[in-house]
Amino acid sequence: MGMFSESVDVACAPDGQPVSLTWSGRSYAVCAESVRWYERRQWWDEVSRAPLGSGQGVVDHEIWRVQVLPVDGRERNGREQDEPLTLDLTRHIGSGRWRLLRIHDGLRPTTA
Amino acid sequence: MSFTHLHVSTAFSAHYGVSWPEELAQSAAADGATALACTDRDGLYGTIKHLKACMAAGIDPIVGVDLAVFDDDGDHRTQVAGRVVVLARGHNNGAGYRALCRLISDAHARTSGKSGGAVPVAVTRAELASRTLDPHTLKPVLTVLLGPDSDVGLAMGGRRYLRPRTLFKQWLDVMPGGTVVAEIVSQLSPPGSPLSTSHAVRMLRLAEEHHIPAILTNAVRYCAADGAPTADVLDSARTLKSLPELAREPLLQPTGQGWLKTSAQMLQLGKEIISAAGFGAADLKQLMTQTEALADLCRIDPTTDMGWKQPVVPEASVIGINQDPHDELVQRCHAGIGRRFPGLSGAGERAMLTRLEHELGIIRNLGFSSYFLTVAEVSRMIQEMGVRAAARGSGASSLVNYLIDVSQVNPLQHDLIFERFLSQDRATLPDIDIDVESAERHNVYRRIFERFGSERVTLMSMQNGYRARGAVRDAGMALGMDDGEVGEIAKQLWRFSAGKFREALQEKPELREFAGRVERRDAAGNQQLDLLVDLTERLDRLPRHISMHPCGVILGDATLLDRTPVQPSGLGLPMSQFDKHDMDPMGMLKLDVLGVRMQSAMAFAVREIIRIHPSKEDVVAAGNHSPGQDGSGPDYIADNGHIDLNAVPLDDEATFELIRSTHTLGCFQIESPGQRELIGKMAPREFNDLIIDISLFRPGPMKSDMVRPFLEHRHGFAPEVYPHPLLKPVLQETHGVTVFHEQILRTFDVMTGCGLAKADEFRRALSSEDGESQVEEYFRKHAKAKGFSPDVIDKVWETLKSFASFGFCKAHGAAFAVPTYQSAWLKAHHPEAFLAGLWEHDPGMYPKRLLVAEARRLGIPILPLDINLSKAEYRVERVRSGQDAGKLGIRLSLNGIYGLSATELKRIVAGQPYDSLADLRARSRISKPSIKRLAQLGAFDSLHREAGGTANRADLVHHLQKLQATSSSKKGVEVLEGQLSLPLGDVELRNVSPGLPAPTLVDNVRAELDLMAVDVSSHLMDSHRPMLDRLGVITADKLLGLRNGTEVLVAGVRVATQTPPMRGGRRVVFISIDDGTGCIDSVFFHEAQENAGMLLFGTRLLLIRGTTRRTGPRGISLSASMAWDLSRTETLPFPDPSTPGQDVPHPLDGISRSLAITGFNG
Repeated sequence: MGMFSESVDVACAPDGQPVSLTWSGRSYAVCAESVRWYERRQWWDEVSRAPLGSGQGVVDHEIWRVQVLPVDGRERNGREQDEPLTLDLTRHIGSGRWRLLRIHDGLRPTTA
Repeated sequence: MSFTHLHVSTAFSAHYGVSWPEELAQSAAADGATALACTDRDGLYGTIKHLKACMAAGIDPIVGVDLAVFDDDGDHRTQVAGRVVVLARGHNNGAGYRALCRLISDAHARTSGKSGGAVPVAVTRAELASRTLDPHTLKPVLTVLLGPDSDVGLAMGGRRYLRPRTLFKQWLDVMPGGTVVAEIVSQLSPPGSPLSTSHAVRMLRLAEEHHIPAILTNAVRYCAADGAPTADVLDSARTLKSLPELAREPLLQPTGQGWLKTSAQMLQLGKEIISAAGFGAADLKQLMTQTEALADLCRIDPTTDMGWKQPVVPEASVIGINQDPHDELVQRCHAGIGRRFPGLSGAGERAMLTRLEHELGIIRNLGFSSYFLTVAEVSRMIQEMGVRAAARGSGASSLVNYLIDVSQVNPLQHDLIFERFLSQDRATLPDIDIDVESAERHNVYRRIFERFGSERVTLMSMQNGYRARGAVRDAGMALGMDDGEVGEIAKQLWRFSAGKFREALQEKPELREFAGRVERRDAAGNQQLDLLVDLTERLDRLPRHISMHPCGVILGDATLLDRTPVQPSGLGLPMSQFDKHDMDPMGMLKLDVLGVRMQSAMAFAVREIIRIHPSKEDVVAAGNHSPGQDGSGPDYIADNGHIDLNAVPLDDEATFELIRSTHTLGCFQIESPGQRELIGKMAPREFNDLIIDISLFRPGPMKSDMVRPFLEHRHGFAPEVYPHPLLKPVLQETHGVTVFHEQILRTFDVMTGCGLAKADEFRRALSSEDGESQVEEYFRKHAKAKGFSPDVIDKVWETLKSFASFGFCKAHGAAFAVPTYQSAWLKAHHPEAFLAGLWEHDPGMYPKRLLVAEARRLGIPILPLDINLSKAEYRVERVRSGQDAGKLGIRLSLNGIYGLSATELKRIVAGQPYDSLADLRARSRISKPSIKRLAQLGAFDSLHREAGGTANRADLVHHLQKLQATSSSKKGVEVLEGQLSLPLGDVELRNVSPGLPAPTLVDNVRAELDLMAVDVSSHLMDSHRPMLDRLGVITADKLLGLRNGTEVLVAGVRVATQTPPMRGGRRVVFISIDDGTGCIDSVFFHEAQENAGMLLFGTRLLLIRGTTRRTGPRGISLSASMAWDLSRTETLPFPDPSTPGQDVPHPLDGISRSLAITGFNG
């Protein structure tokens, strides 16, 4: 499993579920129901301020685990892609920007 | 469809919940909810506030509790299996609420009432099961929610896959049908972890499998997502572990999702869970419907279920009445007339009877007769115990109270208005406060429990919220900061709310250094200080724990414990979970029985006077009392020498002379620096002046500059001004300045004819903006109609508006003035006994050592500790020899010596006198360290002298030290049973080998400060004298001879530090120091605070430069411009820098007991 912090563009359905995304110039479509959860942050080391009213998103951040297939049907290395790729994405609460956190490749997570 | 939250902790779940009931209720209502639950942990601490908040927000309250359940299989006394939520069902005439109260009392019954007890707050499952059914109808009245914190939910994280099901089935086996539901919660934590959707799914499936209703909650801890970091800090404070430590365990909430989510968000959450479970839309609908169905079942009717605002008093039979309570009250009042008003007749009698009729009529209409009889019963009971008691507060406004002996103040004599206490328009039980001797307070409580029965009585509790110091400490601990560093910061936080920490950093000079460190965070790479400030602010005011209220006792009928849960207090008596704000809403009769140390001190003084002067003749001579009509002395002194303080006439000239001298240290209410300044300026001549003085010395009048015009008019510097001739009778006693609530009431009445009851309603209404505008409209309209000119109306309205909220009730002032006068009377006539009483009961604001200095100033000998003459209390003693022979002195007490246990003390006193150290060891069996400490304090000096030894105190201490080191036995030398020590004088003492230099005075004083926190042998400033002379320091006793505006240097040890509220809101710091010749009060205004910086609150010995300010004929204080720390000689401003200060040994060196010595924990 690889730890990333690359920026990703994600398009969502009205209920907030990711539908498609663009990553490193390539487009992917979400091909299965996504799973969402929140993970804790060690916020006391990571933030320098936490005044009243700014506490949202200090303690945790949102993670989406999505399964995607490339829209053009080809993987980066040119191989035909039949198995979906599993990605963990996170959305920054303030900016709404998405970043890629982890790639799960089949059974064995790899570091890309 | 709206969603109802059924599991919500408010801030009153101490160290757990984050949000106030008001915020939660308003948020819920704003989202369209029609009901909201409050399920605080371990009790109903926030429930009544929740009721109030829900009623204000127009939604139905639901009440419940989040409670731990013992493990049936584990050790019943200590092992908890998990937590469940229990909700009371409503609209059953309180059956649900009653069961909830009793269940919570069950949960606390086994605890010790002290923090850190071994037994947790929890119920057994059997107790829970038995409380869920109403004992009469056997219908379910409670519903138990099995959620993620229950043993079932907790087992989901374990390895044994079937465990949750087994546990769930155990619950269903034990609990009566229809009393259990499954609580489905997902706070969206990572799959498979606690509070995750996958766990929620398993709980949902269990419910379905066993046909148990499932309901959805969010286990709410904060109103909005913003509260999540605060919850983390509270978890840290609760567990006493830092956040990094908690994160490793992991014990923190898994996510920050536990807020009061909207209906839409909860529906979305339900969808996610249902879909993850593989269920469909019908199941989602069922989950949401079942939640609302349970909510409907649990909606509480505040009136029929909880007795909202319905006063309940003890049954008439309990207070020994077998006729109509009102008839009884009328009879008792009339019986009191002859005693209180002997010989009253004519117009005076008619006025008194009219007033009595008026009061009784109102009491009858309100149905409060039983209440008055109950208070009278308590009052009678206390007096029968022989305990000094005095009614305080607005209760003194009532003639009925005076006639039935509840109050000692004649309301007619002081023009007190009944309506300020009770009126037709104010249907809440009034407060009657009774001050008793502090040393007897717990006995009084116990007696009340015995008298009324433990089912009718409980103590009231109080909530203790975070203030700045506690908040910064806990925030620092959460961040894992160094204890010492946080402690240093906490020390500098002085009387401001934690919520204004960042603002204070900008403004307060003593925080300048810390503010600088926060600013430099980037350079240092340390972000923690900035975060510390934010987290401290987040903790502001949040409740930390409840404790026994210092005076509140709740009295009710036999149903009291159905209406409030109780838990053990530290005192062992049960304590209600409700605080003073909950009393009125719950119709609870609260009696304030306040322990007043001054009452104990005065009772002690009176006893000492009899002991030393056992006859009337002796007392009259010793106290210089008037010979009285028949020459044998005044009537208030009995033949055996007992003084009836309450009967002492209120016009004693010697007493007023003492008050005017401003040497009032130790006197009730008038000993503070500010009060000494005020009495110096005011120069009271009669009792009413004391009432005015006490009423003026309040934050309101001080802030709004009422004092200066009052004094100018009083002394005739400026003519008195009345807004209108009709108001002259109302304002005359205070020279035209409005001081008392009573004057505000009369002003309303005179100008609008509204009547006094209405006037008191107006006065209350003025505290809110809404109320103010309504009152203004009424006032202007009716005053105009009565022909007052617009000018007068404007002017009077301004006064009413600004003074009404903080004027003082004259009845309070009158009740306070009585002990003030009595204490000054004792100080004027029997100073030795009075000071002994003060030392014994320590009632005042100053450290005890200042009163030792006061004795020195008065020339009262302080007699040293002596193993044969000192007792367990301070005693007045006739000095037999030496330069003070014949005088009365005060012998130091063995009580309060550091390290000497209560048992040792008891044994020493029981065995007195001793003829040798061996005798002492044998019979008192005190420990070696205690013997050594007694030797250091000179307690054996007289024995030593008798033994004729040549060694000194240092040699003796050394000798004892050696013995201590060579033998390991903790107790004294073993003595064989039956062996008697022979009366040979003390061989041991005689044979102590001399050789060491005698301890210096400084050494002795240091030992006294260290072990007793008082400096007896000499004043602790004495050793500084040569250095102070070189600095050109002037002493307190010379100050009065200086001209106004003289610049001086003074030096002394801190004895008081105050920051009273001031006009314009700018902080003023008063620091009083004691230099051995008296007390010097200095005031630091803004610029001086800037100059003094951290020294303001951080140092014990101060050198202060300032200019004298004359405050009255006998008063002088200092306006400070600069301060130095006297212990840092290199910084001091010596006039001749070529001879810098040398460090001299000082008694305070190495002594850390700052609070006891300086009255300040800086």
